[in-house]
Amino acid sequence: MQLKSVLGLVLATTLAVPALAQERGGTLNFARYDGSRLIDPIYADRNPDIWMVGSLFDTLLRGSADGNSVEPGLAEAFSVSEDGKTVSLTLREGVLFADGAPMTGDDIVFSLDRARNPDLSPWAGLLGSIDTVSADGNAITIALKDPDPTILSMLATFNTAIVSKAAFETAAGETDQDKSAAIFASTSAGVGSGPFYLCGFEQGSSMDFCANENYWRNGADGKPLPYLEAVHFEIIPDDATRILSLQAGEVDAAEFIPFSRVAELEADSNINMQLYPSTRIIYSPINTRDTRADGSPNPLADARVRQALNYATNKDALIGVVLHGAGQPMSSPLMAKATQFSTDLSPLYAFDMEKAKALVTEAGLEQGTEVTLTTLAGSADDSTIFAALQQMWAPLGIELVVEQVDGATRGAKNRSGEFDIHTYGWVNDVNDPSQVVGWLGYTPTAKAVGTGWENAEFNTLFEEAANEMDPEARKVKFAKMQELYANAAPLLFMYETPFAVALRTAVEGYVQTPLGNNIFDEATVSR
Amino acid sequence: MSSLNYIFKRLLMMVPTFFLVMVIIFLLVRMLPGDPAIAMAGDRASDADIQAIRERLGLTEPMLVQFWLFLSNTVQGDLGRSILMRTDVMDVIVDRLPVTVFLTVYSVILSLLIAGPLAFVAALNRGRWPDAVIRTIFQIGLSMPVFYIGLVLLTFLAAQLRLFPVGGYGDTFSEKLYHLFLPSVTVALYTSAIIMRNLRSAIIEVLDAEYVQFARAKGLPSRLILGRHVLRNALISTVTLLGLSIGNLMSGTLVTETVFAVPGMGRLMLEAIFARDYPLIQGLTLTFAVLVSFVFLMTDVFQSRLDPRMRLQ
Repeated sequence: MQLKSVLGLVLATTLAVPALAQERGGTLNFARYDGSRLIDPIYADRNPDIWMVGSLFDTLLRGSADGNSVEPGLAEAFSVSEDGKTVSLTLREGVLFADGAPMTGDDIVFSLDRARNPDLSPWAGLLGSIDTVSADGNAITIALKDPDPTILSMLATFNTAIVSKAAFETAAGETDQDKSAAIFASTSAGVGSGPFYLCGFEQGSSMDFCANENYWRNGADGKPLPYLEAVHFEIIPDDATRILSLQAGEVDAAEFIPFSRVAELEADSNINMQLYPSTRIIYSPINTRDTRADGSPNPLADARVRQALNYATNKDALIGVVLHGAGQPMSSPLMAKATQFSTDLSPLYAFDMEKAKALVTEAGLEQGTEVTLTTLAGSADDSTIFAALQQMWAPLGIELVVEQVDGATRGAKNRSGEFDIHTYGWVNDVNDPSQVVGWLGYTPTAKAVGTGWENAEFNTLFEEAANEMDPEARKVKFAKMQELYANAAPLLFMYETPFAVALRTAVEGYVQTPLGNNIFDEATVSR
Repeated sequence: MSSLNYIFKRLLMMVPTFFLVMVIIFLLVRMLPGDPAIAMAGDRASDADIQAIRERLGLTEPMLVQFWLFLSNTVQGDLGRSILMRTDVMDVIVDRLPVTVFLTVYSVILSLLIAGPLAFVAALNRGRWPDAVIRTIFQIGLSMPVFYIGLVLLTFLAAQLRLFPVGGYGDTFSEKLYHLFLPSVTVALYTSAIIMRNLRSAIIEVLDAEYVQFARAKGLPSRLILGRHVLRNALISTVTLLGLSIGNLMSGTLVTETVFAVPGMGRLMLEAIFARDYPLIQGLTLTFAVLVSFVFLMTDVFQSRLDPRMRLQ
């Protein structure tokens, strides 16, 4: 017994030696394309905010590395009752907020009640199944109205991150949002328990994260994470300037590298060009309504024409010219490959011009039919996509014309249906397919991403899957939805793209997750 | 006394100008397709969410009511709340204004420093090679877009030679001079090209004037002639030109601040337009209008100092 523990100690010491060499300290300088405005779990509604929530706040559960299951987070244990209507969690002992105040069950109840309040959070709908949240000491109980297969994933999602109740009670301001803004502006350490706390903020210019010395997770050396002392963010909206800043050594990392620059940076021995797998898909909604907004008949209402467009689109060629090879064709019509329950239907509409021509002939498409592609003004990618599609679709007798608008206009057109086809993209916020499938295919949510496509069987399957607790049965339903959607082709299925981040070789351990979250927990920088 | 009176009169005359500016900007932002509620809620929000935001922003009120609110609040110094920044427009502008003013003033000084001496050299060597070289170089400068010059300067002077920082703004005055040098040069190159051409022909004209010939005939030293007679008279049209090009300089900041990652009003304006942030667009435009009007006024006052024939009326 004694020998065993001595041996254990020796072993532990031996193992710990190389780990102790873990580089600690220093500041990582990170160049971003856009700044955060308010990093609060429930008010974060833009990617530059959402993707930083995990650095300042913690969730009860954490997504696993492969993204397909959840692991303990602030809750060291969790279970779902037999009937699927109660989730029990045990809050980890001794968790502190960054200012040293202890986290209690009250904070959990406060945070989750806040997160599911539809008057406050734009994300409240994702937590619609929750009936009550209660705490008894460290025991947290979430009672559900109906069984919800997504609830555990939701507890690992940014909008359910835990905030300090005390911080909100003492903050200035009348409404919850005012208080949140006041806390953010004060760069206070007392609101979150993530690996960092906000310690500097210059609107539109820069932002600083300082290490939370009370963070509960340990690094490879047995001491608390993070390894870094601080992260300094510079906002450099211009792509070329952001890269120059990295090349000049002013920053250690630069995100959103345009794909046209990837090869050049890969060749640079001082730079580690990373392409992180993502859940980002680039696709183009096709208006499926019988008539266009101006009342004229819509040639794209015929599914065969939409299928023809997909067959006539050479995805590999598009990936070549737009992404310079850094991407892959969509393999599921409804989600990125990395999403749970994605069915691999690849090759999805493999390039086949003969088939495409046969389909348009069958559909009786008139030669010289004019179709408008709405693109983002100023987007080099969109311009290339237009030029490529114009050529690829010409053999079908389609005359593709372009209409360039800005993002807000494109959004308005998507809503009103005043478009034929427009470019679009998506990144999952939640590690569950229901969000993206609800967006792309389920009619009541957003008219199937504005296409007007409506399929009763699909909608029923989606509603059933929302209450299906058996993962296998749920997977079958999602598989069927993907099959239906692929055949109906309400989209031009294009490709998936990675997150391109260029780092100096001195930087290690930085990760951008498939959901886009920037993770600095285990990042190091050697000087 | 008369000068103060004049300034006061001019300030009064600005009131209708600003009113017109406000009418135009109010209508312009609302004529843009896409509304701030959609931009704010994101593409994924439901129609009910959008409607709720529209009501909260007061966009469901009749246009006249919206305009009256905008007008009366502005007069009271309240520019509203920025949708994008989630804070008062006035605070955002107070935060960003010094950056843009610094950049603009710096550019004006640099363009004078570049254009002034070279205009003299060109004018005094009229028709000979230094004149040709200077004019050719400036012609090239005039025909290149601002963002392109900016990127070229960044690539060579900042990224490769590391003489200047690529981005940022700096904290102390000298740091700001250093950080904003490249962006200011970029803006200044275009303006200095215009000034150089104008100043050169003005100097040539003055050199041929009878009073200069007379001064020469009197045997005055040429330094005195150039300084007291030529420069002063040639500057009159240059000051006008500089005042008029302030609009150009300001619009140049939209591009320059984005390329050089300078957190000023120009970059903010672009962001505000993309987000359809009506209050912020209105506030920024009004601020730009005030700045330009102020510069025009200063130009007129300064001109009368240079040329007593232009009495202030």
